[in-house]
Amino acid sequence: MDPLVSDPRIEAAAEGTVEPAADPTLDTVSEPAVEAEAAVPVLCPACGTVNDPDAKFCEECGTQLGELVEVSSDPDSGDDEAGAEPNESTSSTSAPRRACVYCGGSIAEDGYCELCGKPAQSERDHWQEAPAAWVGGVCDRGIRHDINEDAMALAADPQAGEFAVLVVCDGVSSTPGSDKASLAAARAATAHLAAGRQIDVTEGNDDELAQSRWSDRMLEAGERASAAIYEAIGELAARTNPPSCTFAAAVIDGPLVVVGGVGDSRVYWIADSGKSRQLTTDDSWSQEMMAHGMSRQQAESAPQAHSITRWLGADSPDEAPHVVPTYPTGAGWILVCSDGLWNYCSDADDLAELVHRVVGMVGSNPVQVSSSLVDWANEQGGQDNITAALARFDSVVHTPAQPA
Amino acid sequence: MAEFTASVFQNEFLSDGATDVHAIVTVTVAGAGQAGQGQGMAAGEIIIVDTSGSMTGENLGAAKHAASVAIDQILDGTWFAVISGTDTAARAFPYPNARLPMVQMEPGARAAAKQAIASFQPSGGTAMGTWLTLARELFQATPQATQRHAILLTDGKNEHESAQALSQAIYNATGVFQCDARGVGSRWQVDELRQIATALLGTVDLIAKPADMAADFESIIKQSMGRGVAAAELRVWAPQGSEVLFVRQVAPTVEDLTTRKTMVNPLTGSYPTGSWGDESRDYHVAVRVASKPVGSEQLAARVQLTVRDEVVASGLVKARWSNDDALTARIDPAVAHYTGQTELASAIQDGLAAKAAGDAATATVKLGRAVQLAAATGNDEATAKLRKVVEIDDANEGTVRLRRDVAKLDEMALDTASTKTTRVRK
Repeated sequence: MDPLVSDPRIEAAAEGTVEPAADPTLDTVSEPAVEAEAAVPVLCPACGTVNDPDAKFCEECGTQLGELVEVSSDPDSGDDEAGAEPNESTSSTSAPRRACVYCGGSIAEDGYCELCGKPAQSERDHWQEAPAAWVGGVCDRGIRHDINEDAMALAADPQAGEFAVLVVCDGVSSTPGSDKASLAAARAATAHLAAGRQIDVTEGNDDELAQSRWSDRMLEAGERASAAIYEAIGELAARTNPPSCTFAAAVIDGPLVVVGGVGDSRVYWIADSGKSRQLTTDDSWSQEMMAHGMSRQQAESAPQAHSITRWLGADSPDEAPHVVPTYPTGAGWILVCSDGLWNYCSDADDLAELVHRVVGMVGSNPVQVSSSLVDWANEQGGQDNITAALARFDSVVHTPAQPA
Repeated sequence: MAEFTASVFQNEFLSDGATDVHAIVTVTVAGAGQAGQGQGMAAGEIIIVDTSGSMTGENLGAAKHAASVAIDQILDGTWFAVISGTDTAARAFPYPNARLPMVQMEPGARAAAKQAIASFQPSGGTAMGTWLTLARELFQATPQATQRHAILLTDGKNEHESAQALSQAIYNATGVFQCDARGVGSRWQVDELRQIATALLGTVDLIAKPADMAADFESIIKQSMGRGVAAAELRVWAPQGSEVLFVRQVAPTVEDLTTRKTMVNPLTGSYPTGSWGDESRDYHVAVRVASKPVGSEQLAARVQLTVRDEVVASGLVKARWSNDDALTARIDPAVAHYTGQTELASAIQDGLAAKAAGDAATATVKLGRAVQLAAATGNDEATAKLRKVVEIDDANEGTVRLRRDVAKLDEMALDTASTKTTRVRK
C-alpha cells in the first residue's frame, strides 16, 4: 500500500484540494446543518453553466471540472503525488481531451488548441464564481506570472443583501506551493464563515452581539485557514520559506459587514455616490510608512511597498486577522481584491470611479464587473495575479436595533 | 535510430495591435545512419555527366575521373545508373542493352560502370531536360529504390531545347528524386542550374577548376549516402483565421519553400525537405494572426518535421501581446540575422542581374546593399566574393563602385554562393 495514502493527514489534504467543489467537509469540523446553503456551486469554465458542487464534468457541455490542484509547477515540492489521490492522478492523465474554452476545438498534447491556438486554460489560472446573482468574483493569473497564486472562495444566499462570504487570499510569490496554500486557506475560511450563518438566524438582532460573534468567527476563520494551509502543503511546511498567503474576508450579514485582513489584500466599500473607503488596513511596509507620515503615492511606489509584515502560513509570527465591523450606508459594492488589482488603482475613490465606469459599460452583474476589473488590470500590465470579488448592496437602511 | 530535435528562436511578445509573428526553427537530426539502410528502404543514385562536344579535353577527362570517384563512394546495395548527356540522354550504365533500368552496386558492377565511364566520347549539344527525364524514368522503373538522388554535371548552356522544355522536365522530376547540380568552367548558366537544384531539393555550385571536380563529386556522394532519413517533410500548422506569410529554409542555404506547400488538412501545410543526414537546418516561419488584447497568449504555429507522416520533432511558435515596450521592441537575434541573410542573397542576385543587363546604377545600389548586409551579418565569404566584383569604399554605408574587367568566374562564384548563409552568432 502506498504509504502516503495511509497517512490520514495527507489524505485529508488530498480531499481538501482534489475536490475543488468547495465541499464544506474540507473544513475538518463537519457542520452538516449548513452544507446545502454554504456549498459553492462550480461554474463550468467552458460554458458558464452552474454545476453541483461535487460535479466532475459539466452537465451542459461535458467539460471536465475540478482540476484546480493540477497546475502547481513547483519543481521541488515533491508532494504533488500526495496532493492528489492516486486514482485521481491516473485518471487525469488518461482523461479525454478537454475542449478549448474559446472555440470548442480540442486541446493538443502540447497544451494549445488545435483550432485557434489559444492555450488550454486551467481552472486554477482563471476562474469565476457566482454563488448568487448579487455576488461574484474572478480570479486570474494575470500576464507576468506563470502561476496563479491568488485564490478566492465565495458563498451567498440567493436573496440579495442577506448573507454572503467573500474571501481572497494571495499566495506569497517567492514561495513554491503558495498557490495551494492560498486556495486551501480561502476555502477553509469561507466554509467556516458560511457555517457561522446558522448561529445568527435568531430573533431580535442585537448589533453588538452580531458584531462580536462575527468578529470571533473571523478570528476562527483565520485559524481554520492557517490549519488548511498546513494540511494542503504537507512537507513544504518545513521549508525555510514555507508556502504562505494573505487573507482578506468580508462577511455580509444583513446590513452588517465584518471584514478581516492579514497582509495586503483588501476589502473596499465602493459607494454608488458619496465617500468610498478601504475597510481593511494593510500589514505592509508601505502602510507602516504611511502611518509614519509618508504619502500614499510615495509609499506605494517604493520598491519595498509590497513587503508584507503579516501573513498566514507556517512561519507567520501573528496570524490573527484585524477585524472591523461596519455598516455601509446607501447603495454600493463590497469589493474584496488582491494587490494585482489595487496596485493599479489604490485610492478608494479612484477605485470607485473605475468600478462606476465598468458598471456603466457592462452593467451590474458582479461576475461581469469583476471580470472587467481583471481585464482592466491586465491592460495595465497584469504584473501580478488578479482577484476581484464583489457583492452588490442596493440601498439598505440600517436601523440600529434596540437592546432587548 | 535517428534522433530529431526542434528549437524555436523568437521574441513571442507583440505590441498592442501587432499581427506578424516571426520565428527561426532549428531542426537537427543526429544518428541518421546511412542511406537505404532503414527497414524496407533502398537508396538510388544516378550520375549524370555532360558529354557534349564542348566538354572535349580537360573537362571531360576530369569529369570521367570524378564520376569514377563518385562510383567508388556509392555503397554496395544501392541501386545506381550513369547517364551521359548531350542533346539527348543515353544510359551509359547499365549498358544500353541491359534488361534492368538500374542495378544494385557490388564490386563487379562498380568495375563495369567505371569502364563505361572511361569510354565517354564528347559529341553533340546540351539538352538537360532530356537528361532529367531519363533519370526520372529510370528511378520510376526502379520502385525498390525509395530514396533517390542524382548528381548532374555540365559545362554549358542548355542550348538544344527550349527553356519551357527544361522547366517541364524539372516539374515532372519534382518529388521523384533530389538532384545536386554542378557547373564547371564559366560558360554555363547559374540560373539554369539553380532552377534544377532548387526544385529538386539540391544544391548548385561552381567548380572553377576541372581538377577540383573529383573531390566535389566525392563529397556530394558521401553526403548523399550519409542521409539515412528519407523524405522528411516540414509541416506548419497555423491557427484558424491566420495566414502563413512565408516558410523559408535559411540555413545552410536560403530556399523559399512557401510555394511548395501542399495542405495536409485545412490548417496544416506540408513542405518537402528531402532526405536528411546528421545535420541541422534553420527555417524562418512567418505567420500573420489576428491581433489579440494585451495579455493574451496564443500559439501562432506548430512547426514539425515528419517522416512517413509521423511527427518526429515539433517546435511551438507563440504570440503574447504586451504593452511593455521593453519586451516587444526586441527583435530576436536569429530572426534579425536570417532576415539580413535572405536580403543579402536577393541583393546579390538582383545586383548581378542588373549588371548583366547593363544597368550600372541599380547594380551599384544592390551590390552596395549586399556589401553592407554581408558586413552586418558577418558573412565573410560573401564579403570576399563581393570584393572581387566591386570596390568597397565603405562597407558600413554600403558605398561601392563596380569593378571593371571582372572575371566571369568571380561573378558566377558570387552568384552561386549568394544563398549560402552563415549561422547566427550566439
